Amino acid sequence: MDQKLKLSEIHQGDSLPSVVKHVTQKDINLYAEASGDFNPIHVDEAFAAQTPLGGTIAHGMLILAYMSEVMTEAFGDRWLERGKLSVRFKAPARPQDTITARGKIDSIEDKEGVAYVNCSLECCNQKGETVIVGGAVVKL
Amino acid sequence: MPPTSFEQLAVGYEFPPTSYQLTETVISKYVEAVGGQQDFLKSGVVPPLAIAAYAMDALAKSFSVPPGSIHASQELEFLKVVPIGSTISCGGKIAQKVERGRLNLVVLEINAINQDKEKVLTGKATIAIPQM
Repeated sequence: MDQKLKLSEIHQGDSLPSVVKHVTQKDINLYAEASGDFNPIHVDEAFAAQTPLGGTIAHGMLILAYMSEVMTEAFGDRWLERGKLSVRFKAPARPQDTITARGKIDSIEDKEGVAYVNCSLECCNQKGETVIVGGAVVKL
Repeated sequence: MPPTSFEQLAVGYEFPPTSYQLTETVISKYVEAVGGQQDFLKSGVVPPLAIAAYAMDALAKSFSVPPGSIHASQELEFLKVVPIGSTISCGGKIAQKVERGRLNLVVLEINAINQDKEKVLTGKATIAIPQM
């Protein structure tokens, strides 16, 4: 996997490449089949309608995959072998939502010759509501 | 397996180690589900979130949470590139339980190693479980 952003080319405040995805119930069902997570809150519309959420929601790990895609686009293999993330799921992503995953570089720290790139990450829906928020660190 | 209630979960409980193979068929299905990550298939590399998703699924085979449980937070550290075709062994334990008002939170620690016994991923998931 190519590293798109080189250390010499990145700066504090830079935006990372955004990822935009339209989520459908079909995507959620596909993810359930792929991951083995058939929790009815994701795949059973009748069950989900009776819960406080009022309908099915996407798997958190599906939406988190979009966030990881932002980091993979930016840092390639370095993300896959030297990446760390910490996120909170703030709101559900629902079928027909358009999710934008974006990030920016908060700081770059040099520790004993290794650059630690600290990024803030966020996934928002089409209403601008935050679905996932958190941070990531990648060592370059 | 019947759903395990919050009260039945003991802090320190260790999930039986389990393993799974990340074949091209498995990863193709994952890539189709998350969309737009075809580069992983071309490179023969497993998307890092797939390792985590399958580790959690493997652990879930020995532990069920009630319907309606949702993911509250997630920490992950990726330690090694995992080629497609790798066999991953994973384990985990219940690290913490918190009752906060009407929320029951369970913190699970997970780890995954490859067939060469190298650690490829560690993480911590917080699951919000509805009161039964």
